[in-house]
Amino acid sequence: MNRRWFWGRILSSIGVLAAVLVLNFILFRIMPGDAVGTIIDPNFSPEAKDRLRELYGLDKPLLEQFFIYIRQMLTFSFGLSFLSRKPVWDELLSRLPGTLFLMASSMAFSAVIGIWLGIKAALNRGRLAERIVLRAGAITASFPGFFVQLVLIMLLARTFPLFPLRGSVSIPQPTGAVSVTLDYLWHMALPVISLTLMGFGGWALYVRNLMVKALGEDFVLMARARGLSEGRVIYGHAFRTILPPIITILLMSVPGLVSGAVITESVFSLHGVGTFLLEAVSGHDYPSAGASFYMLALITVISNLLADIAYGIADPRVRVGGRDQ
Amino acid sequence: MTYILRRKSVILLICIFFAGFIGPALMGGHPSDVVGAPFARPVWWNSQLPLSSEYSVGNDGAVIEWKKLPPEIFALNGKITADPGSRVRIIWSTTEGDMLLDTLEGSGIYWINMDGRDMIFKQKLGLPLIGKSTEHLFPSNGRYEIRIEGASETDLILSLPGGRQGLLGTDQRGRDILTLLIYGIRTSLTVGISATLIASLLGLGLGLATGYIGGWFDSAVMRAVDVLLSIPTLPIMMVLAGLWGKGLWQLVLILSIFSWMGTARSVRALVLTVRESPWVEGLRALGAGRGYILWRHLVPEAAPILLANVALGVPGAILAEAGLAFLGLSDPRLISWGRMLHEAHSFGAFTEGAWWLLVPPGLGIVALCLIFMDIGRYLEEKIDPRLGSAKNA
Repeated sequence: MNRRWFWGRILSSIGVLAAVLVLNFILFRIMPGDAVGTIIDPNFSPEAKDRLRELYGLDKPLLEQFFIYIRQMLTFSFGLSFLSRKPVWDELLSRLPGTLFLMASSMAFSAVIGIWLGIKAALNRGRLAERIVLRAGAITASFPGFFVQLVLIMLLARTFPLFPLRGSVSIPQPTGAVSVTLDYLWHMALPVISLTLMGFGGWALYVRNLMVKALGEDFVLMARARGLSEGRVIYGHAFRTILPPIITILLMSVPGLVSGAVITESVFSLHGVGTFLLEAVSGHDYPSAGASFYMLALITVISNLLADIAYGIADPRVRVGGRDQ
Repeated sequence: MTYILRRKSVILLICIFFAGFIGPALMGGHPSDVVGAPFARPVWWNSQLPLSSEYSVGNDGAVIEWKKLPPEIFALNGKITADPGSRVRIIWSTTEGDMLLDTLEGSGIYWINMDGRDMIFKQKLGLPLIGKSTEHLFPSNGRYEIRIEGASETDLILSLPGGRQGLLGTDQRGRDILTLLIYGIRTSLTVGISATLIASLLGLGLGLATGYIGGWFDSAVMRAVDVLLSIPTLPIMMVLAGLWGKGLWQLVLILSIFSWMGTARSVRALVLTVRESPWVEGLRALGAGRGYILWRHLVPEAAPILLANVALGVPGAILAEAGLAFLGLSDPRLISWGRMLHEAHSFGAFTEGAWWLLVPPGLGIVALCLIFMDIGRYLEEKIDPRLGSAKNA
């Protein structure tokens, strides 16, 4: 891979991360109100208040606080939660896999289904199949995700109890690795299905437009003239050229994916970073809120970087060429 | 300008607008008034359930012919005047015998405030403490009578809120869904439109400035746009709502801070192309100042894009507001569609199977979004006719 391009991407990710860190710091320190205002009882003596401020490092000058904060963030030592008085990092660590699983599986399903439908629509231009895909894409984009999820819960968990109403695990939890896994998958099924339902339409529309354009190109005509099978023409040639823009859209969808995961977790009461953030925000638990926001931003930045690298691999101009993308 | 009024979505929006801003004034009563039993179904749903009814109980008592399932609540309120020496007995005579609801003694005036859901009421009558007392008060269809014995004057009201109430039913507190729905229009429209307007003006200003001034300012703002577009906005909006408070205008401010980027980008792109065009060069040669060119020529040039951007941005703002309200991060006193969904989700709509709590606000959000998207697309086509033909091709 082009080395200069690669390092450029890494630098840009670090830049975004630095901006997130600064934003996070500003939000919680310079905002109106004292960061420890909620845990300091107004009836405390001034000495006790000072001691608490000292404990949370709020007596030091702002710049020093900033450096301490950066070190904490980079080493994942987020301190103790105001609510549970347990280390925030432990709590986050237990919730991270759920969020990542939700995001990754829903993205994979919606991308695969969307790309497949998009290609089908492009191959069936003007027919009913294309119109259905286009209409479905336009409709799913204007439905608020949580409303669809609430309706799905009502239908598939309440009226026809195929899926659990809420939670990540059954209570009491089943024993044995296989049944635990199956139980988890059963609880995650409806969230993933609903996110896929909301997500595939945009993909289908986008891929259909790219594919229609690619199928009109000369090289497709050439490939057909060479007598290649239709499958090779479509997947080996036309699809191959639209791979880089598909990765770009993947990259642009990650922030929305994180937001979607946060709201989905609250709808289904899943054990994840999103519900932790919501609990922390509602309970004025600043260390937890800051840390979970940082984690979500970190997930975004890392997935962006991964998608960028995939882009570099997929696009020969970047892979071989010396031009800075 | 009249052609735009013929568009169906515009007509619909005007209707919704009137319903949202004038409707509440016409409706009388406050949306948080309790009008019926909790989780009462819409009136047109399941006619086996009784409608709410009220009977005034005078000196002769009251007779009720009951032909439906039991009501949800049995409540008796009012005043009884009696001779202090006499004993007042309130008797509920059912198809399966009489029940003595209360015995009063030793005073001239009694204020009655009875509710079938009270534990004390159930205990006194020997009814099971868990479950609905009305099932025992109304054991079968037939003739019921309430009698007051020993009173000189009776002025009571027996209210029997039924399982069906209002056009769209009631929520977990017995509030009317239709009223809440109409009050919610105002919140959605106010937040959606004002947040998008502020964001668009911000985007216009920054887009013009970056496009025209360029240099370090341009690159700084564009970097900020890149960063804001590549971090998830919902978590940061949640944090801000938690820190700043949850009022309507805080919400508007939070939403507008995170939705100006698209407008800024497109305005900047426009300015970059127009800046080098011959007529701007001509203006400069004639001695026009920077401010004059920006204000008199570039702003009008960008205005149509801005208009379409506003219309297309409103759905995003409405959805974001609904999302935050759904997460419980909005003012609890502020009635909004997102808040209605939040309450439905947190207060047992699922255990009740109360679909009428979910569907109206949800479809309301969808309808508003579709309307604004249609108007936005229409404006875009008017501005750039190529878009319309491209869709048909």
